[in-house]
Amino acid sequence: MSIPGFGAEAQVYSETGSKGLVEVAIPEGSEWRIEVPHKTILKFKVTEGVAEIFGTELPINVELQISGTKTMVYAPIIYETFKNKTVMSNESEEIVEYLSNDSVMANYINLHLVVEAMRQQVSDNNILNPTELQSGPRVLIVGNGNSGKTSLAKLLSAYAIKSDSTPVLVNLNPRDGVFSLPGSLTATPISDSLDVESANGWGFTTTSGSLFHNPKQPIVKNYGFVDVNENLDLYKYQVSKLGVTVLSRLEEDIACRNGGVIIDTPALGIKDFTVIENIVSDFEVNLIVVLGNERLMIDLKKRFKHKSALQIVKVPKSEGLVEVDEAFIRRTQEESIKEYFNGNYKTRLSPFKTDIDVNDHTIYKCVLSSDVNSALSFLPAEPSSSNLDNSILAITQLPSTHKSGRELLNTSILGYVHVSKFDDAKGKIKVLLPFPGGFPRNMLISTNIGFNE
Amino acid sequence: MDLGSDNASTLLEDYAQSVSELTFNSRPIIDNLTTIAQENPANADGILNIITNRIYKAIPDQKLYALYLLDSICKTAGNPYNILVGDDIFKLFSHVFQLGNETIRNTLSSKLFESWKVTKVRGNFPLFPREQLDKIKTFLDKAGYPKKNGNGNSPDLSNMTLIEDTNSLIAVFQSRLQSHPDAKLSDRFNALQELKKLLLSQQMKPAELKAVQAQLNTIKEQDNNHNSNINTPMPTPATTPAATPGASRVEPVKNEADTLFQALLLYGLVKVDQDPIPGSKPDYSIVLPKIKYQIPKGDLSNSALQDILTANLHSSIHRSEYEKIKFGELQVVSKQIASDLQGFLNNNKPRISDLNFLYDAKSSKCALCGKRFSTDTDGATKKRLHLDWHFRINKKLSSSTSNVQSRNWYLDDYDWVNFKDDALLEFSTSETGETKDAGIVAKTNKVAFVAVPANDSNMNNRCIICRESVKATYNDELGEWCWFNCVRAPGEGKNSRKIMHASCAVESSKKRGAEDEVNGLKKQKV
Ligand SMILES: [Zn+2]
Ligand SMILES: [Zn+2]
Repeated sequence: MSIPGFGAEAQVYSETGSKGLVEVAIPEGSEWRIEVPHKTILKFKVTEGVAEIFGTELPINVELQISGTKTMVYAPIIYETFKNKTVMSNESEEIVEYLSNDSVMANYINLHLVVEAMRQQVSDNNILNPTELQSGPRVLIVGNGNSGKTSLAKLLSAYAIKSDSTPVLVNLNPRDGVFSLPGSLTATPISDSLDVESANGWGFTTTSGSLFHNPKQPIVKNYGFVDVNENLDLYKYQVSKLGVTVLSRLEEDIACRNGGVIIDTPALGIKDFTVIENIVSDFEVNLIVVLGNERLMIDLKKRFKHKSALQIVKVPKSEGLVEVDEAFIRRTQEESIKEYFNGNYKTRLSPFKTDIDVNDHTIYKCVLSSDVNSALSFLPAEPSSSNLDNSILAITQLPSTHKSGRELLNTSILGYVHVSKFDDAKGKIKVLLPFPGGFPRNMLISTNIGFNE
Repeated sequence: MDLGSDNASTLLEDYAQSVSELTFNSRPIIDNLTTIAQENPANADGILNIITNRIYKAIPDQKLYALYLLDSICKTAGNPYNILVGDDIFKLFSHVFQLGNETIRNTLSSKLFESWKVTKVRGNFPLFPREQLDKIKTFLDKAGYPKKNGNGNSPDLSNMTLIEDTNSLIAVFQSRLQSHPDAKLSDRFNALQELKKLLLSQQMKPAELKAVQAQLNTIKEQDNNHNSNINTPMPTPATTPAATPGASRVEPVKNEADTLFQALLLYGLVKVDQDPIPGSKPDYSIVLPKIKYQIPKGDLSNSALQDILTANLHSSIHRSEYEKIKFGELQVVSKQIASDLQGFLNNNKPRISDLNFLYDAKSSKCALCGKRFSTDTDGATKKRLHLDWHFRINKKLSSSTSNVQSRNWYLDDYDWVNFKDDALLEFSTSETGETKDAGIVAKTNKVAFVAVPANDSNMNNRCIICRESVKATYNDELGEWCWFNCVRAPGEGKNSRKIMHASCAVESSKKRGAEDEVNGLKKQKV
């Protein structure tokens, strides 16, 4: 089996832990910073007060499990007299945890207030002037690697939900699978709370059954690499395609229109200005938030001088951010792939194993920009066990009758399959589908996303 | 005291004569009669008799002017007039209101009555007894005045009413120009004339009308405040249609005019082009209302004006209690970020009082997931639906067999653009979880059910793997009988009855070699 059952390798730490319950009191305005390695599970519950993980408020006396994450529990300044208490079931040397009052959360809350005030003006206008609708703020978050962009995007999304707004969260960092797998670029209306226990803290998409948290419904574009520089032209092209789709959604959906857009990005600097410029125009960005990089803000202000409607601000990065290494990123990617097919401890999903005949399908591959042909095109892949085994294939939305590869650029992704084994002799591919039944389409794109057990 | 009583009767006769001339909204007459009343408090009873008589007897359209006179006397002279008439004021007001036309009713409810609520007379006493004002309030509430609607447009707010307002200001300019000719003033006068032309020639949008009205109102309010220091506040004829330019008061109005003009400039209704040469003559032109009215960003010299403008414009939007709190708190933020966005981000210290809309105003927290709800009707309804949803989900999750599930396929661009997230939430009204889920997947034809073939009447079927019986149920949304949680056996055609549980399919594919399942896929190749 290429993907083992999820529960099998994750250990509940209490089985090996030594110490009993540990109580942590988080003072108002402080953060309880936690680093939980993969394969280790931290169980904890908030027993008193108000505590949030990147803006998502935690229930009282409900046990939560997190694993493979570097995160923090924040106690907002609300009730001067209350204690915010958290009880952690076990403590291990592997789990790093400490309290810090060196929080930049006040700045981030201010940012939410700004964005929400902009939404308020727009939604009022849209009631008063139904013939001249405006869109809510399109917020672009930029900064270096490891500056906490995704955490900020999460926080802005979570506070938006708390404020009854529905922004569209756009993930342009193919390293992370946001409501999808790594290698994808996605846009997802955040219409309900995030699921802090899920693999990357965002949550589930729709399933055929019932979930603890309401699911989200993303649109998924395939890029196929985790690094934007592998094929920058393709990246930019897919970003612009996603932009068209997102802006169309805003046209059709007043809740999303009022909520605006929050865009998370890969690490981009001033040398990537053309990428930033493209994103700004593709998504009609009107607020750029630079995370902890004064210089970048100044440079961007200079370069965007001509755009009077575009505001550029900076917020500090959190001192609590810890460097995540390649191995950690890789493990996180694997966890989100696993969760896509198998679910997690709370919600088990049943994927569907089947074999397909390679001759019934057309498989394309994304090309590197270093390849000779036009960087934008997809090349027909020659399927072999060496290039397909243990890889992820993207199923495109193109109908089965479709013959040419040209339109691959303009389609979206129906879902992903995992190839466990390609039998060169028989021409059969052993695949894992997320959903039972026949193979829905036959235009596939092989990605550079690998997955071994 | 014959002489006195003679004098008194002459005075009252003359007074009655003048009052009967109030057949239009005449400022000079009202001013004159107010002065006489103020100078003759001993005759207050007589004077009030004349006026109340006039109010009751005059034809409906003219009752208002007599009421204005009464208003002017009470505000200017105060005691004893306001005391004597105080207990009758509801009767008088409601009489004029009931017989008045729509314009009169709106003027009475939104202007005259509003001014009564706030006006104080010497010694800081209220103008009329609280109990009378409350009666008027209740009366107006029942009648549904002042009128508002969702579009933010009072029924009486039209180009016409604003033209009348503009007219009165034009008259003010005109008289100023006659006494102090001034090129700058004349430019502004022309600009106002243009605004009038614009109002005459184009139907403006509700929001634009609101904006113009708000500016005009601001000026009037400032005017009132200004006058109350020296003389008398009153819902002056300037706020009512000034039928004849001559009726307007001829007083220095520099501030009002400047303010109006600045406001018009500020909100883009008047455009100024000036050569960048010192002393060059600015060229003012009216901007047609294709320019959207917007609350301007950046420094605002007149923040009081902005407040009024914002309040006026936004007060017509219906908001829940929670939304009102949120609106109030975010208004404060809007004002701060207008001048210094980065400064706000850096230095604002969020306090509990700034964040009610995130916490305290949503004080009802779900014990199961931590989601917050407001305690107003809206929030209470949502919370009830939310708890119902938890209950349904928990029930389902506890019976492990019914919750075998798999991840759905993603939507394509077209379906996603037209998708509404309400379908994912617990607040969507009609259906249970199952049909909701089915509805979503049905949309894209990626479904955990098999529709009973059209030519088949046998609803009972069996899973080909576990042999358990499966009964079809009718799904309203799909309009079809379906075997739920099942998939058609691989390789079977549309009319085949060979089905298996989705869960059994998963199990079997793990056990068996997949050889035979592949056959089904060939069909899909064209
Ligand atoms: Zn709940
Ligand atoms: Zn079965």
